[in-house]
Amino acid sequence: MSKPIPYPVLNDDEPVRQFNELDASLTYSYSNYLNWLFPERVELIKGKIFKMSPAPSRVHQEVAGNIFLNLGVFLKDKPCKVYSAPFDVRFPKEGIADKDVYTVLQPDICVICDKSKLDARGCIGAPDLVVEVLSPGNTKMELLNKYKVYEEFFVKEYWVVSQSDQNILIYTLNDLGKFQPSKIFTLSEKITSSVLPGFELALDDVFEDL
Amino acid sequence: MSKPVPYPILDDEPVKQFNELDASLTYSYANYLNWLFPERVELIKGKIFKMSPAPSSVHQEVIGNIFLKLGNFLKKQPCKVYVCPFDVRFPKESNSDKAIFTVLQPDIFVICDRNKIDARGCIGTPDLVVEVLSPGNTKMELLNKYRVYEEFGVKEYWVVSQSDQNILIYTLNDLGKFQPSKIFTLSEKITSSVLPGFELALDDVFEDL
Repeated sequence: MSKPIPYPVLNDDEPVRQFNELDASLTYSYSNYLNWLFPERVELIKGKIFKMSPAPSRVHQEVAGNIFLNLGVFLKDKPCKVYSAPFDVRFPKEGIADKDVYTVLQPDICVICDKSKLDARGCIGAPDLVVEVLSPGNTKMELLNKYKVYEEFFVKEYWVVSQSDQNILIYTLNDLGKFQPSKIFTLSEKITSSVLPGFELALDDVFEDL
Repeated sequence: MSKPVPYPILDDEPVKQFNELDASLTYSYANYLNWLFPERVELIKGKIFKMSPAPSSVHQEVIGNIFLKLGNFLKKQPCKVYVCPFDVRFPKESNSDKAIFTVLQPDIFVICDRNKIDARGCIGTPDLVVEVLSPGNTKMELLNKYRVYEEFGVKEYWVVSQSDQNILIYTLNDLGKFQPSKIFTLSEKITSSVLPGFELALDDVFEDL
């Protein structure tokens, strides 16, 4: 009988099947991330792991859905495209190779106008517009950690949507590369976008029937 | 037997039921003083806005935490801090009751000019106002009251979200317009242009809720 051939070890990284096998103190790259086969959704910021909430609430999904629909209808036959989570956005700094990318986020909604940033696995490079809907327990992630990433990587517009308070605030990147906050818009008001001239979103439409 | 003296009829009869008010009419602070029903209302340009019957426990804890911090800081200082229910009258033409059409009850406010305080509350614009958003009142706080506070020159307006555990500060600029800050969240601190030296850690505001 011939000797059995060992199953080849494919690469340096073994697939990780359990979230608990990760070590929160370590720094991970997108190339590690691709080997994670567990069901939990995670994001990476500068190589650190951030666990996402298991499933967003119904209201969260309705609010995100309403915004996505309005953006989608507006962007039909236009060069910009809109995507909704789960959709990996890689923020490369040193290089675009998987092992050099340490920040990978899944924005609730993002608009990308440069199609060369899109590949089969998602988006590589900063989207033009990002929308995040706050959930209980994730505000620090959205308002501090992701805020800093979006600003650092020059996302032109960052919309922060509160499902609980039914309002939207828009951060717009200024000439110095810093986010400028808008006032807080609420029911009966409309927002426009410097990234999408002509686009208008009525907050009554976003938060109706919840 | 002498003729009985009739009880003098006041110009305004006391109103004992909220339902007797007519939402289409314009009311003044003089009318407001005659309202004896238990519902709490606010007036903006003479229009009635009903307040939520009783705020949630989280709402009250958040207010309590901010009030305590402000109170401690303002000890032995000229500015004073007040907490709701406390009427603030925003006079336009004159200070007489019947000429005042905007009366609000901010969750918290700081007033540095003691001449504005009388037995019935505050008359004139506070220096700093804090409103904690509740489900269902965001339009009132973010649109109606926002406009009043800006129009009357409140120097700082803090908008606190109990659900999202964050605070945004509107600061009146030289043109008399509100400039928004970024949204501050847990682990961050806010300061105040009205109260130099004051610092508030958001972790302290939203802890233990």
